[in-house]
Amino acid sequence: MEAVTRKYKAKDYKSELKPIWCPGCGDYTVLNALTRALAELGLAPEQVAVVSGIGCSSRIPAYTSVYGFHGVHGRALPVATGLKLARPDLTVLVTGGDGDGFSIGGNHFLHACRRNVDLTYIVMDNQVYGMTKGQASPTTAPDWEGSKLTPEGTGINPFQPLVVGLASGANFVARVSSSDPVNMAQIIVEAIRHPGFSLVQVLSPCVTFRPEQAEWRDIVRTAVVDYTDDAARAARRLMTDDGFNVGKVLYKGERPPFRPEFEKTNGSIAELEARFLL
Amino acid sequence: MSGKPQDGGAIRTLPELLAHALAMENEAAERYGELADQMETHHKTAVAAIFRRLEKAEKAHLGELDEMCRKVQLPHYAPWDFKWSGSESPEAIAIGRVNYQLSVREAILLAFEHERKAADFYAEIANTAEAADVKELARQFADEEHEHMGWLETYLAECGPDDSRVLEDPDPPLGQE
Repeated sequence: MEAVTRKYKAKDYKSELKPIWCPGCGDYTVLNALTRALAELGLAPEQVAVVSGIGCSSRIPAYTSVYGFHGVHGRALPVATGLKLARPDLTVLVTGGDGDGFSIGGNHFLHACRRNVDLTYIVMDNQVYGMTKGQASPTTAPDWEGSKLTPEGTGINPFQPLVVGLASGANFVARVSSSDPVNMAQIIVEAIRHPGFSLVQVLSPCVTFRPEQAEWRDIVRTAVVDYTDDAARAARRLMTDDGFNVGKVLYKGERPPFRPEFEKTNGSIAELEARFLL
Repeated sequence: MSGKPQDGGAIRTLPELLAHALAMENEAAERYGELADQMETHHKTAVAAIFRRLEKAEKAHLGELDEMCRKVQLPHYAPWDFKWSGSESPEAIAIGRVNYQLSVREAILLAFEHERKAADFYAEIANTAEAADVKELARQFADEEHEHMGWLETYLAECGPDDSRVLEDPDPPLGQE
């Protein structure tokens, strides 16, 4: 234990804007965990950027005091990739939901994992499109009958984000629960510190359109095994669990992050024309 | 999940106690404020008023505590290193335990439960610490939490039949047709 005063407190990373999520929503906890993690890392707010797409959870940038970009549905990862490559000095975080990240943004997700840029992607997975009033998302169970659009369920196997992330090359994979914000803060700290593309899946209940998810806080359990550096082994573990083993890092890879070297330019229009104009 | 054996049992020195108290009161004030904001956003003014009143009480307590801590070099704890038995500090109501239809009575009972946990936390330190100054201060903090419990008991006694009703929603969330 150090006898030092931290420069920043969690609340220093929150903006004046009050969240409009439903009371009880797991996303409040993610905001709290994220700001605690940043305080623990001692990062100045101007050293951090949060990029998001569209959806309830994608509102997070507005509720923070760091740089934020609330972008286009499903396109948070390419925006964040560009930002990180242009400004490698920034800590770039990406936040969003399961629909934004794995359906509309599914292709970007695969290639962001492959590319392994030094980003931390926090996905608040509630297995539903909440902002548009409760439709099945890519991670919804096939027999969920809560939406009139799919009255007999989707009949489609849910997307397995962590397994797909591993197969595609994510360098850090973890699953946490919004019922344990302190553990989540710890995992986010680890994810940010780990070089390359870090994927953190948060089980974050939608209390309005999936009220039964309130039970998740009693169902989740701390994973009993520690992380591995073998992606195939991590994937096998994930394929055989029930999705409620949380609270630990599952995989840490050693693949070096993608950091292209750019030629130094003087930034003039004439130089750009000389290089790119056909 | 960040399970610790027991609340407050491992706190032995005055700086450790003050660091925990400061974190707990900060978290409680912020959480009550967040809950009041949530309820105000959803026009649940009676429940919001309860949480707002508690936020003010915690902030007053925090002011006194800040003054007390000014002369002491406090140890730094990462959020996961505090000696709480649960994930967050005992006084903070878990976000997942509220909903927009919470009745006034339910809100008071929830707050009472967490004020009691805070009192128990300090009482545990007072009972297990060896240093006299730690025991004395922990006892004083426990008494302050009992005072908050007393207010809540009074509020509870003043609750009318309407305060026990689950708040009606004139515009309930409906799945898309």
